[in-house]
Amino acid sequence: MIPGAEGAASGGRGYRLLATLAVVTFFLLAARLWYLQVLRGDHYYRKSADNFVKEIQLEAARGQVFDAHRRLLVDNRPAYNVYVTPRFVSADSLARLATFLKLDSDEAAHLRARVADVKETRRAQQMLAFPDITRNEMATLESHKAELAGVAVDARPHRFYPQGKLAAHTLGYMNQVGADELAKQRDQGYRLGDYVGRAGIERQWESYLRGKDGFERIFVDAKGRVKSDIDAFEIESFAMLHGEPRRQEPEPGNNVVLTLDMDLQRMVERALARHHSGAAAMIDVATGRVLALVSHPSFDPNVLTGRLTRAEDERLSKDPFRPLIDKALRENYYPGSTYKVVPALAALEDQLLAPEEKMNCKGAYELPGHTFHCMKSHGNMTQHSAMVESCNIFFYHLGERVGMDRMAKVAEDLGFGAPTGIGLGGEVAGFIPTQEYYRSHGGFRIGYTLNTAIGQGSTKVTVLQLALAYAAIANGGDLYVPLLVDRIEKPSGEVVQAFSARLRHRLAATPENLARVRSSLCGVVNEPKGTVFDFRDPDLPFEVCGKSGTAQVRKNRKGQVAGWDTGNDQAWFAAFAPAKEPKIAVVVLIEHGGLGGHVAAPVAMEIFRGYVAQQAKANGIGDGDGNGNGDGDGNGNGKTRPRAKAKLKVKAGR
Amino acid sequence: MSSLGGKALAKLRAQFDWPLAVGTSAILVIGLVNLYSATRVAPGKLYSQQLTWLGFGLVAFVVVAAIDYRLFERLAPILYVACVVLLLAVLVFGRSVKGSKRWLGIANVGIQPSEMVKIGVILMLAKLGSDEPVELRRRGLPTIFTMLGVLLVPVVVIFLEPDLGTSLLLYIIGFSMILLTPFWWGHKLTAFLIAPLIALMRLSFGLKLYQKKRLMTFIDPSSDPLGAGFHARQSVYAIGSGRWTGKGWLHGTQNQLQFLPEHWTDFPFAVWAEEWGLLGSLALLGCYLFLILWALGVSATARDRFGQLLALGVACLLFWHVVINIGMVTGVMPVVGVTLPLVSYGGSSLMTVLIALGLLMNVSIRRYSY
Repeated sequence: MIPGAEGAASGGRGYRLLATLAVVTFFLLAARLWYLQVLRGDHYYRKSADNFVKEIQLEAARGQVFDAHRRLLVDNRPAYNVYVTPRFVSADSLARLATFLKLDSDEAAHLRARVADVKETRRAQQMLAFPDITRNEMATLESHKAELAGVAVDARPHRFYPQGKLAAHTLGYMNQVGADELAKQRDQGYRLGDYVGRAGIERQWESYLRGKDGFERIFVDAKGRVKSDIDAFEIESFAMLHGEPRRQEPEPGNNVVLTLDMDLQRMVERALARHHSGAAAMIDVATGRVLALVSHPSFDPNVLTGRLTRAEDERLSKDPFRPLIDKALRENYYPGSTYKVVPALAALEDQLLAPEEKMNCKGAYELPGHTFHCMKSHGNMTQHSAMVESCNIFFYHLGERVGMDRMAKVAEDLGFGAPTGIGLGGEVAGFIPTQEYYRSHGGFRIGYTLNTAIGQGSTKVTVLQLALAYAAIANGGDLYVPLLVDRIEKPSGEVVQAFSARLRHRLAATPENLARVRSSLCGVVNEPKGTVFDFRDPDLPFEVCGKSGTAQVRKNRKGQVAGWDTGNDQAWFAAFAPAKEPKIAVVVLIEHGGLGGHVAAPVAMEIFRGYVAQQAKANGIGDGDGNGNGDGDGNGNGKTRPRAKAKLKVKAGR
Repeated sequence: MSSLGGKALAKLRAQFDWPLAVGTSAILVIGLVNLYSATRVAPGKLYSQQLTWLGFGLVAFVVVAAIDYRLFERLAPILYVACVVLLLAVLVFGRSVKGSKRWLGIANVGIQPSEMVKIGVILMLAKLGSDEPVELRRRGLPTIFTMLGVLLVPVVVIFLEPDLGTSLLLYIIGFSMILLTPFWWGHKLTAFLIAPLIALMRLSFGLKLYQKKRLMTFIDPSSDPLGAGFHARQSVYAIGSGRWTGKGWLHGTQNQLQFLPEHWTDFPFAVWAEEWGLLGSLALLGCYLFLILWALGVSATARDRFGQLLALGVACLLFWHVVINIGMVTGVMPVVGVTLPLVSYGGSSLMTVLIALGLLMNVSIRRYSY
């Protein structure tokens, strides 16, 4: 019985058509399978492997930071961190985690957002949710483990600054790498939740300190449970496919040894502590080694590196004394009279001023439209006495004589107007005005030259620049690049790289003229008419030479904060000592402190006293560091330390 | 057993459709082997339950094959109505699982009438379409519309459960049958034009949010990596990662580590393909193709028009189940809950397919007896 001719199932032809349709359809399915299993098989094999292979990061121990005497400045300590694996963590476990850690709703929302933002390809990786939880919190989480799917607590090294606020600006701090940074630096191996150096040495030497993380690949099921019994077959073929080992040991980071002396650093910080805000630098004049670098007030890098609360963050960034700003090198200031070495050197070099030439100071200097005043009527002044008594009128004349651009040349030669190259991020250049600058900013007038001659107007320098310039004057004309890092060592102690003093250039000024300026600077402190004479310390075993500065600031700045008048002058004292054979240069800035001689100089004197005490102590324990007693190796700890010390010709006091 | 029984047995042995039995058994064996692996990590005793169902299914297969199918032709309206009543009962008394009522609980056993109804519909459509050609030609349109009505009642009820996949599948199976019924082409064309309109109306109405989402994620799988698209993606990973020869039985990581959700019901093919590779996949695909072609052969040689259409109906059932299921697990069709015949876990599905194959055997055995 054969169906009607109209039916698709009509006789042999209809059935052949149906059969063909079935075969073709199945052929298409087979083709799809061929595509998936053969053409794209390896790709999907890897995808399926990525499902069950979870990478556990084996964190590399970050390098330590030592001071010049190998005392620990930055270390790692064990801490409990909370990790979250986005693929396995549920909203419930996140909510529970927030409760156990007592997060406020803000923080909890932030955590949720962070987990949600993780890219699909990274979801199987652990991310750091909270660093450094307390022992109690750890115990709570541990006892509720079963309710916290996708959450893990792990003991990991946490960055630790054992000296607290000491040298915080120089050392820097760390925090977690952000998602946008991850995208930018994909090839550098950072992972979500990794810590990265944010300022100072931590940031600048990040790649040396960091080391290389290792990993271990473990096997998990879809719910994140660890499976130890995955067949060897899988593991092998997986390894084959990835071409990578199951475990890779981390490589610890290198240690950084600084030129800073912890004792000196602490001593200088203490000397500044009685003032609201300021900065100081102590430089070894023969090498440019930075012995102490202080910005006051400071902050505790442990706080910034840990779980920084929003309130704390706000408090730090809104503090009127700006603890987060490194005032030694990231802030410009009018140098005031400390800058007078510039016009003096310029005039002497160009022989526009005979050493004994006299100019009369009647207390004022008249220009059409404006009268420049001096503190008093100094009478007849020479280069030496004008410097000693800080007579502005004399330097106005001098400035007018040598001209603004000539002063700029000398300033540049002394290292002003350009970063010193200390190798810490964010160093500012300061500013040295030229006629050209004023012409392009509303026109040049001679008054600007006069202002520049006394370190006002548009002239700006950093504390560090000033210290290096005075060091160059002190050592007879060698301007150094400041040396902050002495060497990089492997964890074993093997030196990877040692740094020696780097001469930036020799000053153009002749030794004779430099000696003349030096002698004037010594007069400032040690001659009865000198502005700092009353504040010198006669008990010091050496004479201190230097220049005070009282730099006016714009008075329109608002307000007084906690008894701090922000319209008050910047108090400076830039100095070196001993007078005969200078060893160190010290610059002190007290922000809005008032008169340099009255405010900054006493601080500097305290620093010199501290230096002397420290030297005596160092000699006592046999480490005659730079004191002519030779490189005593056995220090108090009984350790011998390899010192890659730069052998330098001491050019000081020529 | 009497001598009559002996004679019947001899007759049966002579006319028994061995290739059909072997093909069915091959797939059943693959299904059991695969299900063992797939349910190893499943909760409860799924595997032994499935073995029990298989026992019942084989009995049903034999019983259905043994009784002359002309009895089913006469009983078709009753069976059809019974199925529809069961379906309606689901709507009223059904157990609700994940927001839809698909199950009817009878003494601790859950059955899915939406599976059984396929048999009722196939029998009913075969009966309606088996009139004399002359008669069919004369009353073409009324018959076509009756058939569409017969089809649409259960389709709509299932859609209301709601179970989009099963509803759609039944519609496709039934509609294929109507197409293959020998009506005059003009009548068929009319039906062609009307049926898609009905389908369109259904789609534009009551698609549930999750159903729309599934369709959307099928169109753009990356739009929802951890939701509905996750199944499809993981299924494709499983199949692809099987490569040529598979990861080995019980060694499929997607399966054993549960990256494939509910893989024993809707995604057993992914499990099979992962563990047995392309070779295993093609073998299983080949078995199905053989069975479908064989059913077409049975239809072509059936002794009457009812048998012919019944066999065609079984061929349609197998074809669409396999094509949609494999299309879904290989990521070329949206994820809708369509089982893989004889391989998926589930009593109702297994029973239904075995009864359908029993009917096919029935037609095959009786093709030469007048």
